[in-house]
Amino acid sequence: MQINPLTLKRIRRFKSIKRGYYSFLLFAFLLLIAVFAELLINNRALLVYDGEELYFPIYGDIIPGSQFGLGYDYETNYRDLQTIYKKKGENRFVIMPLVPYNAYENDLKKGTYPPFAPSFADRHYLGTDEIGRDMIARLVYGFRICIVFSLLLLVINFSIGISLGCLMGYVGGKFDLLFQRIIEIWSSIPFLYVIMIISSIIIPSLMVLVLISVFFGWMGMTWYMRTMTYREKARDYVMAARALGASNRRIIFRHILPNAVSLIVTFVPFSVAGGIGALTALDYLGFGLPAPTPSWGELLQQGTNNLQAIWIISSIVVALVAVMVSITFIGEAVREGFDPRMHSTYE
Amino acid sequence: MLRLRLLITLLVFLWALPQFSGLAAEQLPVGIHWQTNQKAPVFASPQAKKGGTYRSYMMSFPLTFRHVGPDSNGSFASVIRLQNLSLVGIHPNTEEVLPELATHWAYGDDHRTMYFKLDPEARWSDGKPVTADDYLYTLEFMRSKNIVAPWYNNYYTEEIERVIKYDTYTIAVVSKKAVPELHLKVPISPTPKHFYGKIPKDFVRRFNWKIAPNTGAYYIDKVKKGKYVTLKRKKAWWAKDKKYFKGRYNVDTIRYTVIRDLNTIFEYFKKNKLDSFPLTSPTFWHQKAKGMEVYEKGYVKKVWFYNNTQQPSIGFWLNQANDLFKDRNLRYAFAHALNMDKLLNEILRGDYSRLHNHYTGYGAYTNSKIKAREFSVKKVEALMMKSGWSRGTDGIWQKGQRRFSVKVNYSAELHTKRLVVLKEEAKKAGIEMILKRLDGSSSWKLNLEKKHEAAWTGFSTGLRPAYWEHYHSANALKTQTNNFTNTADPELDKMISQYRLSLKIQQRIDLSQKIQQKLFEIGAFVPAYKVGYFRVAYWRWWQMPDVPATKHSGDLFEELGTGLFWIDAKIKKETLAAMKSGKTFKPETIIEKTFKVD
Repeated sequence: MQINPLTLKRIRRFKSIKRGYYSFLLFAFLLLIAVFAELLINNRALLVYDGEELYFPIYGDIIPGSQFGLGYDYETNYRDLQTIYKKKGENRFVIMPLVPYNAYENDLKKGTYPPFAPSFADRHYLGTDEIGRDMIARLVYGFRICIVFSLLLLVINFSIGISLGCLMGYVGGKFDLLFQRIIEIWSSIPFLYVIMIISSIIIPSLMVLVLISVFFGWMGMTWYMRTMTYREKARDYVMAARALGASNRRIIFRHILPNAVSLIVTFVPFSVAGGIGALTALDYLGFGLPAPTPSWGELLQQGTNNLQAIWIISSIVVALVAVMVSITFIGEAVREGFDPRMHSTYE
Repeated sequence: MLRLRLLITLLVFLWALPQFSGLAAEQLPVGIHWQTNQKAPVFASPQAKKGGTYRSYMMSFPLTFRHVGPDSNGSFASVIRLQNLSLVGIHPNTEEVLPELATHWAYGDDHRTMYFKLDPEARWSDGKPVTADDYLYTLEFMRSKNIVAPWYNNYYTEEIERVIKYDTYTIAVVSKKAVPELHLKVPISPTPKHFYGKIPKDFVRRFNWKIAPNTGAYYIDKVKKGKYVTLKRKKAWWAKDKKYFKGRYNVDTIRYTVIRDLNTIFEYFKKNKLDSFPLTSPTFWHQKAKGMEVYEKGYVKKVWFYNNTQQPSIGFWLNQANDLFKDRNLRYAFAHALNMDKLLNEILRGDYSRLHNHYTGYGAYTNSKIKAREFSVKKVEALMMKSGWSRGTDGIWQKGQRRFSVKVNYSAELHTKRLVVLKEEAKKAGIEMILKRLDGSSSWKLNLEKKHEAAWTGFSTGLRPAYWEHYHSANALKTQTNNFTNTADPELDKMISQYRLSLKIQQRIDLSQKIQQKLFEIGAFVPAYKVGYFRVAYWRWWQMPDVPATKHSGDLFEELGTGLFWIDAKIKKETLAAMKSGKTFKPETIIEKTFKVD
């Protein structure tokens, strides 16, 4: 595959900004964990061998306890199964993921009350929340939902923002004027109040939340795209293309948009960070995804209510800060990388 | 001659006038059986001493000192209203009728009229005697449009028919409808006619900050708007030596200071600027008040008092109009799938206990043989198999296209963590719960419109169980009624109608027991938990009777309600000295189980 030398140059410049590059690696690693979370953090076993057959319970239907002679028809408790197999000391075995809990189950103990402090013996490496759910599991699965949310938000917001902004800039005139006013009015609707009202009458699912956020978030990109298009439209190469008889569509897609890419790309990381922030804030206020969906906002809420259980608030704050900071660094580096002007800095 | 004739005519006229105009005193019917009650156990302590100040708080300053009308229903209302005694009272432990402003009472045969002999010693704060006219005036007052109190207007028109004066100290109060227990309904309070007079059009404004005379033990003494209100004990209170008032209302002064935040109030308490602090909330009891210094050093005591009062019906209301819950086996299965014990004991620290019955804490009216269905996967399996369901590949019960997945509709954010635990456990039993949290009024509306599958909510209580609104078919499948389970059972209907119409107490009790058994069999309400206690912290110089509160108490310091506590000046002095010198006492937590049930 041939890579455009300009792109190569941009990547090289991006890589040369170490802060951004390492942040990118960290973020990519986190994404990887989130994608394969089931294999790392799960109450289902990776592998079970009951002496006759191998089982891979992670993906697929539940395997009832009766399958392994545990005498119940609900999902096998693989942690118990592991201890049973270990005690018997035969060739049967269970391999559990690194963190053998999912994000929903309440791991409770007699005589003491959650939240439980971090413990290697219990394999709750960051402790549990106030109803005994594993913190790592809540964090990772919550992160996954957060990222899915902000990526979806990003794609939809940008598609609307770019196409409308481009049209406004390209068509200009009354069309431009009309939409400018519409956007101005639209922007003055108080986003938070509306979302509070909506989510108090309906139960928002992930998609509904995305759509509500898009409803109030699509305007941002239009302004930038509009100015960008205005500027590019007036350039000689566009004039030349028009003189050669290129259609409007061809001019927009082949000439103007590629030149606006650098602008779009620099906005991506900040938009992702914005999405994470928005969902976390909504969940924190209790207007986000319905319980018991794992969520960072809910953890933050729990943390502030249980300051004595310092592991809750500290894990979530560290996680939130790490992700937000790394995204910001990536954004910075991307902007540098795509900046056509070369800045020389002396260190 | 003419003069004489005129005089005679006049005399005859004067004699006849009252007969026709109704102004004459009505005749007391013969054969009235007067009763009183001087035999009930006393609940105050004979050792109680008078004196001292009780320092309390209010979260906001009242908007008015009126007992009726706009803004009179705030938290300060109880301070005003508890000062207005009624004709008779109810014993807080035995629930017998006790003399209050009336010394004797009698029931009419029509189950509508109750007769009262007023206590001639009763006085208003200003020393004026309380007479029959003050009760007649209550009706006039409460029916007046000028007080701007629609609820009272309606109640004193639609529920109380009239007050009859026989003489200055004998009256009867007549209810519009016949009711089995008149003493719970008709003992009204007098209203000081000499104070209000003709009710002016601008009553609401003119009387907003006026302090009306009352019949209680305290009067409002000093007021600084926005800051505090002080009450003073009436030194020569007319009832202070009456059997059931002796040893109560002991402190000389009660001071309510405005402190707007609970955490600040707690700090004030720890600094000995307030005398007691409520600790019923688990956050305060288990966290904030745990290991507080004043307690560890023994200056402050903690009490955990189990009461036994009507419990709100918190739980799951299964909508029987829903396809799933039409089947009784599925309703039972749902109940057996709720691991309430795990929730109560492993999450809620055993603070709450299981509610077994919708109608708990109603004394003889409660069928205490009923025990809520326990968590049992085996029982769920048996019930589901009986109805022909089987577990699907995800472990959830299925039958054809149907899945045992239930939307649970609730509103309190605080309850999320409770429901989440139940949800995870129900999964084991093969039932999926989808939690839907809506804002309070939308959630309530959904229930009222019967659009819920299962509603997690509770109703507050009354003095006697109310079955008709919750379980009669007249309210089933209709919007805006309290029959959240859509129960419509002809046999139950019959019992409920009988219960409503019956005027015999024993018959009502028997019916009540049977109705509750039937409701248990129907199984459409799954009871959750109850809070059968209150907890409070207080400085050690406060003294109480051996049993420090009553069966229906909500606090140790019901300064205007039961008013049982008093101050021990010697212990106070000793404690204050000890606090200065650093001497400590043994920390003490009193757990009082006299009225504890199961």
